[in-house]
Amino acid sequence: MGRLVLRRLGATVPVLLLVTAGVFLLLHLTPGDPIDVMMAESVDATVKENLRHELGLDRPLHVQYAAWMGRLLRGDLGRSIRNGEPVIENVSRRLRPSLELALCAMAISLVIAFPLGIASAMRRNTTIDRAGATFALCGICMPNFLLALLLIFLFGVTLRWLPISGYTDPLEEPWNGLRSLALPAVTLGLALAAVVTRTLRSSLLEALAEDYVRTARAKGLSEWQVIWSHVLKNALIPVVTVLGLQLGTLIGGAVITEYVFALPGVGRLVVDAVFARDYPLVQGVVLLIAVGFILSNLIVDVLYGWIDPRIRSR
Amino acid sequence: MATMRPARDARTVSRRDFLLMCAVASGVPAMSLDPRQAAGGDVPRKGGTLRVGFYIEAATMDPHFSGSKIDRQVYHNIYEPLVTLDVKLGIKPGLAEAWQQPDARTLIFKLRRGVKFHDGTDFNAEAARFNFNRMKTEPKSVRKGEVASIDTVDVVDAYTIKLNLKRPDAALLATLTDRAGMMVSPKAVQERGSELERNARGAGTGPFEFVEWVKDAHLLIKRNESYWNKQGGPYLDRIRYRPIPDDTVKLQSLQTGEIDVMDYVQPRDVAAVRADRSVVVIDVPSLADFAYQLNHTRPPFATRALRQAVAYALDLDQIVKGVWLNVGVPANGPIPPTSWAYDKTIPPIKRDLAKVKAKLAEGGQANGFTFTMTTNNIPINVQEAEVIQAQLREAGITMKIKLVDSATLLADGNGRNFEMISYQWSGRPDPDGNTYQFYKTTQGTSLNWSGISNPQIDALLDRSREVSSQGERKKLFSDLTKILQDELPMVFIVHPIEPKAFSPKVQGYEPIPDGMMRFKDVWLQ
Repeated sequence: MGRLVLRRLGATVPVLLLVTAGVFLLLHLTPGDPIDVMMAESVDATVKENLRHELGLDRPLHVQYAAWMGRLLRGDLGRSIRNGEPVIENVSRRLRPSLELALCAMAISLVIAFPLGIASAMRRNTTIDRAGATFALCGICMPNFLLALLLIFLFGVTLRWLPISGYTDPLEEPWNGLRSLALPAVTLGLALAAVVTRTLRSSLLEALAEDYVRTARAKGLSEWQVIWSHVLKNALIPVVTVLGLQLGTLIGGAVITEYVFALPGVGRLVVDAVFARDYPLVQGVVLLIAVGFILSNLIVDVLYGWIDPRIRSR
Repeated sequence: MATMRPARDARTVSRRDFLLMCAVASGVPAMSLDPRQAAGGDVPRKGGTLRVGFYIEAATMDPHFSGSKIDRQVYHNIYEPLVTLDVKLGIKPGLAEAWQQPDARTLIFKLRRGVKFHDGTDFNAEAARFNFNRMKTEPKSVRKGEVASIDTVDVVDAYTIKLNLKRPDAALLATLTDRAGMMVSPKAVQERGSELERNARGAGTGPFEFVEWVKDAHLLIKRNESYWNKQGGPYLDRIRYRPIPDDTVKLQSLQTGEIDVMDYVQPRDVAAVRADRSVVVIDVPSLADFAYQLNHTRPPFATRALRQAVAYALDLDQIVKGVWLNVGVPANGPIPPTSWAYDKTIPPIKRDLAKVKAKLAEGGQANGFTFTMTTNNIPINVQEAEVIQAQLREAGITMKIKLVDSATLLADGNGRNFEMISYQWSGRPDPDGNTYQFYKTTQGTSLNWSGISNPQIDALLDRSREVSSQGERKKLFSDLTKILQDELPMVFIVHPIEPKAFSPKVQGYEPIPDGMMRFKDVWLQ
């Protein structure tokens, strides 16, 4: 297991290099300039030139990239051009809401998806199964922003049970914090639940057709025992894969949900930074999101080994 | 020697009178008032927290480094400029209680006595000089352009400063009503340095003091208990600003009482908000000027007749009605109806397809021509572009639309890499700020994206800075507007109105056309 982790970590280095170089190049190829954005209403060309020079933006691209890499190796992600604060501070401020949101959404999706997926698989081609399929179809098709606005309209405006927007940290004020995360977490959680339900159902069906299931039934186990102790564990691998991939997306890619609910998350940070052409900030956030993806995939790999001993020994 | 000493209480025009006036001037219904508010002539009450929703977060707390409009909304409550604006854009005393202009190159301010910064230090002539010097010399200062005409600042006595100008600058006084005139505590600057950008505790003199700014969450200010002006407010205990980026969600937050004030209502929402009795809408006529710059340095718009063909092909009334839903007025030029310099005898250019035909022939493109418009990829801009496209098509002109984000728009504009490009200027209180930098001949990068260079316009612009009589300046700007309608560095579209929405319990808000929300006299019922 230790070797597996080390090998996977070693493989991340070229990935990170490619990601950062790609983002760096793309950003600089995009028209627009951070100084122009910062001083849109200023006509003073010399002030702009001085600032550009001070920030090193007048140097050739490869020099800028090398300088950025050099700082990175010393553990310095640089400073945001827009607000002058260290990139790491900008990101760490945004990371907590994003993580909390991702975990809440994931919890909601599991609470919905497991019962529904198992029921759909056990009662295949019945009303329950069809209801599950309909739910999944709606969950996958419904755009985030629409679901978000509908939820706001129902729970925020009409019933007034939950706040419409804003963020309170659940670690500081548990009740208000959870209330502030409820609607966005449901928005993300429902879509995720839809995917997980379908994945779980099909992998359960596949496992249910295996020989060992027949054996288990033959030795007189109840259907629940068969599912619980034999089928579920074997059916989990695809589900864990989906969840692992989605965790990364939830942290870095929940832009629209963050935007609608005015949540200060990582997704919005990177989009705003792109619009401001805040090169160091974009670079830093993308790097950290990439690291996040790699880590969540690593966790998935470790989980595989835990679920399926054959992978561990390989 | 021209001495000006405006009335101490400049609130001689009530909000209703003013809006009525604007409504008459602009031909639009100016405001909708909740009847409960109209009835509420109660005595102002102290206390309460006002919760304000903004579309984005402030960028910095240092007015000398600020380049973002939203920052000013906060500044106007914690900092004070030397002079301030009244509802008619007249200049009234602020931290300076009077001023004199002995000649065109000298401006003397008599400063108010007994004013203290929130950190307890005195506001005086030395502090004012410190601020001007900082704006002029600090490398990161964004104010340099605004104070460029100031050569040196002399301290005459403890409460008098003299600005010696490099050249006559009739617009300087109006410029000092905003960030360039705001006074920051020298002690706060020296002790805190760049930290001031995040923490403005003690730095201002205004009716409210900075408390804290939790980035991405909220910015909190509280009442200044020892505010120098004992008339009226501040009444509110605290003001809490919050960023809510989505317009629909921001509006719903107001309707459900999560916030009390929102900075801007989209035209598409105005009708619905007016119908909602839980919300009060106040139309604030703006200083803004929304137009399209035409590139004079390359075909097709190097040819004046083709610029004119486009202008005559547009139906501004239809655009303002259909796209802006009448939350704005058709523009006759760069100067908004809120300004004393606005000339209502000059009508906006009227659509005239016969003239378009003649102009196309004159420009050598009798069968029409094709060009590209560059504009921001935001809903109202896209709608406007599509309406313009359709109107031009009827006149035989083909327009392609290139949608870009604002950083690309700025890059294309500064690089003159466009044929026709959207330009939405938030406006300045003095007409100079809506004209000079756009139409004066300039080398290199400037806001004169069109590249217009016309000796007649240059002369008018320079003259408008030299004369100090408002009547004379108004005539110069009228002449300028007429020439601009003929030369067309820009096609002018609309002067938008910026509606703000309030909870009915918010009282005492006075809409100044610069759109800034000054909460000194605001109270909660």
